[in-house]
Amino acid sequence: MAEATTFTNSTQILEPFRGIKKVTIEEYFTSGHRTCQGCESALVMKLMVKAAGARTIVLGSTGCMYVANTTYYTTPWVVPWMHTQLGSSGSAALGTAAGLKALMSKGKIKSEPINVIAFCGDGGGADMGLGAISATLTHKEYNSLILLYDNESYANTDIQLSGSTPYGANTTFSPPGKAIRLIHKRWKKNTAGMLAAGHPECRYVATVCASYAVEMMNKVRRALTIGGPTFIHSLDPCPKGWDYDPMLSHELGELAIETGIFPLYEVEDGQLRYYGKTKAIVDGRARKPVREYLLKQGRFAHFLEEDLEYFQKKVDEMWDKWEVPGVVPFRRMDATKAALDPK
Amino acid sequence: MPALICEVVYRGIFQKNLAARMVRGIVLSARKSGRWGIAFGRYGDSPQRNGIPAKDFAIVADTKEELEQNMARYEPKHVDVTVCVDDTLSKGVESWAWYGLQPINRLTVPNGTLLMTSLQAPEELLKDIHKKDAPYKLALIRAKASFSGLWVYKEDHTEARILGALAKIAPAFLSLDGVSQAIQEIEWGSDLKVASARKAYERLETREVKMTEGNTEIPYSFEMPKWWEMREGVTIPAIPIGKPKEGGQGYVPERNPYFKKFTTRTMRPVIDFDTCVKCNLCWISCPDSCFDVMPDATFDANMEACCGCGVCEAVCPVEKCITMVNESAFSDNASQWEMWRKDKAAYKTWLLATIGDKKTTARSHGFRFRGQYEEELKNDLETGGVEITAGIPGENAQHKTV
Amino acid sequence: MAVVTKAAPAASDEKELLISGSEAVAEGLTLADIDVVTAYPIRPYDTVMQAIAKKISGGQLVAEYIVAEGEHSQFEIVKHASTVGARVFCGSSGVGWAYAMECLVVTPPLRVPMVCLVGNRALDDPGAFGVEHNDALFVRDLGWMLCWIDTSQEAIDTTLIAYRVAEDRRVFLPLAISADGAFLTHSQALTLVPSKAKVDKFLPRYDRGDLLLHPDNPITVAPQANEDWVIEIRRQNDEAMKRASTVIEEAYADFRRVFGRGPENPWFEEYMTDDAEIILVGMGTISLPMKVGIRNMRAQGKKVGLVRLRWFRPFPTERLVAVLSKAKAIGVVDRDYSFGSPFNSGVVANEIRAALYNAATRPPLVGFICGLGGREVTLEDVYKATDLCYNAANSGKSEAKTIWLGVRE
Repeated sequence: MAEATTFTNSTQILEPFRGIKKVTIEEYFTSGHRTCQGCESALVMKLMVKAAGARTIVLGSTGCMYVANTTYYTTPWVVPWMHTQLGSSGSAALGTAAGLKALMSKGKIKSEPINVIAFCGDGGGADMGLGAISATLTHKEYNSLILLYDNESYANTDIQLSGSTPYGANTTFSPPGKAIRLIHKRWKKNTAGMLAAGHPECRYVATVCASYAVEMMNKVRRALTIGGPTFIHSLDPCPKGWDYDPMLSHELGELAIETGIFPLYEVEDGQLRYYGKTKAIVDGRARKPVREYLLKQGRFAHFLEEDLEYFQKKVDEMWDKWEVPGVVPFRRMDATKAALDPK
Repeated sequence: MPALICEVVYRGIFQKNLAARMVRGIVLSARKSGRWGIAFGRYGDSPQRNGIPAKDFAIVADTKEELEQNMARYEPKHVDVTVCVDDTLSKGVESWAWYGLQPINRLTVPNGTLLMTSLQAPEELLKDIHKKDAPYKLALIRAKASFSGLWVYKEDHTEARILGALAKIAPAFLSLDGVSQAIQEIEWGSDLKVASARKAYERLETREVKMTEGNTEIPYSFEMPKWWEMREGVTIPAIPIGKPKEGGQGYVPERNPYFKKFTTRTMRPVIDFDTCVKCNLCWISCPDSCFDVMPDATFDANMEACCGCGVCEAVCPVEKCITMVNESAFSDNASQWEMWRKDKAAYKTWLLATIGDKKTTARSHGFRFRGQYEEELKNDLETGGVEITAGIPGENAQHKTV
Repeated sequence: MAVVTKAAPAASDEKELLISGSEAVAEGLTLADIDVVTAYPIRPYDTVMQAIAKKISGGQLVAEYIVAEGEHSQFEIVKHASTVGARVFCGSSGVGWAYAMECLVVTPPLRVPMVCLVGNRALDDPGAFGVEHNDALFVRDLGWMLCWIDTSQEAIDTTLIAYRVAEDRRVFLPLAISADGAFLTHSQALTLVPSKAKVDKFLPRYDRGDLLLHPDNPITVAPQANEDWVIEIRRQNDEAMKRASTVIEEAYADFRRVFGRGPENPWFEEYMTDDAEIILVGMGTISLPMKVGIRNMRAQGKKVGLVRLRWFRPFPTERLVAVLSKAKAIGVVDRDYSFGSPFNSGVVANEIRAALYNAATRPPLVGFICGLGGREVTLEDVYKATDLCYNAANSGKSEAKTIWLGVRE
């Protein structure tokens, strides 16, 4: 490779796709993976690199999008791709970006902006890898995107619950039984909100859903363009673990947004912007009842009315009680309580 | 016969629980006549994926020693009975566990039995089932494929009927009484299921298959490289970028040559190129990148890459522009677009006929809403609108419980 | 293949510095112009990271210096930097090395030539800073190259040799340099630091070649593999480790040609072994009290010698056997333990027993465990070990039990 002239640590300028007809025609993640019928996460991979383009390196931490995508000799990747350990998406992004920066700034390789994207599942991102992602989001001199594809369980290993699994869901670690109907009683982690709030120098955090493909791709392009470490949280319906007809992947993605369970927003340089159906909800459009979403999935088939009501109540709180609806779970102390407060 | 070796070829996830019930049922039934047995899934198929073919095995023997000859294996080298609970698998099996396409009857011993659930005639099935260099028996249970998911099970008696049929096929190992007793005691058993097993025993249709019969296609295979031929650092080449279709128009992605995925498919999209509005939604939404962009900006689903999820039909804004149709209606993976380009009128006729058949367009991909399976079964039991595994249409109408 | 020429006189362009083993490694890293280094605090290895930080803030070294949030990330970051072609350095000690274990496991199959410093430290619990070799030995079976250094001079020289060996395309394996906590990492000695010009003659630039992860070389790295592939991948690593032996020989020969110093025998240091009846074997700074003891015993007419093992992986089986079979008895002094292993000995003793198994002559062997948790190895320990070896030599039988030296009884 030719020696560099000057190194600027710049990023690729990726303008948003103006509509579906303007989307890149080439595929950088193609056929040959062994994912489930209707796998939304495979679609996320495809859209992610379609948005990023050819001059991209992708790192994938252990999970479905590793094991099912790249069984030996059966890669679907057109761009360079490398496996990283389950908890290492943050370190993989950081190390790859740092290696390129070092070699380019020292003139050892040609200086050019190369996209670095590391992805992780909810197990790798919201559970095991959270610390490394957090660290990476503080290293502002390294350009990389970490994309969390959240199918709400350790779907590769047999559907075990993760910190991102919804309340009450049936998983192989939380089977409903005669004695205990709901083993899993933890509420889903607010991963994107936590990372946006906790890393003031991370310039871009967004939530996406591939049911809205063009918007999803444009968030990826924005994250790669703005530079520094960035984070995107994608909610991916999983026909295997959620137990539904694979044909319904898109519909369930839409329902997750329309019920207000998964809000779509982006935080750019500290500025919060809701978008899509979520913006309509913030602007006052009624949310669909969560049951319309939950009862289409076998993982909630054991729910009783009280479970559905509890779930609805918790989602209502996100929108009616949270200081920043759907994003930051702080609540303002009400006046009477404040008055009684000794301090 | 020192041992009875059975394989169950099934659809990953959709039939995972069904297959597990069958292989466990085989062992527990044989136990009733004092036999020893093991049941296991092929480790290489795990973690399973929706639709991707997988295998479970049940081996029963007179003695523990005979059993040991078949233990600590990923799969037996040959089987006495191949059980296949989705007749679209008759086109061949490309599983997680290996590279290339394997005929459904590959492991079946000479004069062994291929036991299938199907609504098709044997002659129809043999158009797909690959030719074998030995005669064998094709045994059929009249039933449609039973699909459900990981958490909600469709209690349509398929497992009971397979066990009943096996008692007919291998009486030396599985007596009908043993099977009935096992079903009664097993956690998912019931009297009605015992009845279904016994009916299956009576009604099993068996047909000799000659060496001359079957699909003559040579399945694609894969040569394993030697250790020094493999690239170091656990690396493999990436897939090249695709090319325009023709005259610089359209786009065809390069595809992985080693895993084609079409045997995962039970239904395929049938596309009406005349009504396509070129909205791009099917193309952008396909998780398997199976749509080639044609020079006229329509989209042709590559039938070697399509795994039949149906997302394209779900997102298509035009009524009947994309329709999912059962694989049994097709005999090859030819390009629909080329067919359409050659003779648009003929294509239209074919299209209307193909998407017009209610039986082949019925959806069978698992859970859609709570209570769905009960509704379907109730309906089947009372009206017998479609044959189900519980027996002959309407004959169980007096039973209100399933 | 390097041509070994007559050793040139010590080059005048080398400067002499009073530095610790850790500082010496940092000098070596500066000369090697490393690109990415990751740090995380744990005694005693982290003195090297402090030294590198000074080099970087002082402008002598230009590299990405990343302070990680734990050893797991620390090793993953450099692993990935190495795959895009960067020369990397990392390191740890004791339980820190253990915390990184998952990331240590993956580097050999990925053929990542990272160089690490392990400041040997006892494993928790109890938390202890003193030296034990068990930490570095975690990776002995995994495809890591392992060597032990003894002096600040060896520290800087071995650092340069390490990159030359690890980054050789025939090898491409990770390499850990072990330095005894305190005795080497924290004590300063006079050390010759060579010139950049000479180092550039000796150490070529790291070329990732066909394994480079870059849009210009699109590959998929480490796809998931079932039973159809893994044993072939292990076999490839087996071959790389075998090739490493040749590459190490070449590197030391070339080092002597370029710098005019360095050992003839890369694998181990021989001290007074030519006529030795008893040969003591050890790794690391344990050699220093041994040498003193040997000189004293020689004054009393006892013919004792020392073999100080530098390279543990690859293990120099033939050369070691050739030397050891000449002795009347062998005493192996381990600064590690392998509880419940054959004869309840240390790791090195069992390796040497195995190495001698096919030897024509197998002298009696006595295993010792000594200096655990940083306990000083005393002359008395050395004398006692030697006496027990003489007993074995006279009886002609190996001692069945392993002797613990310097433990309160």
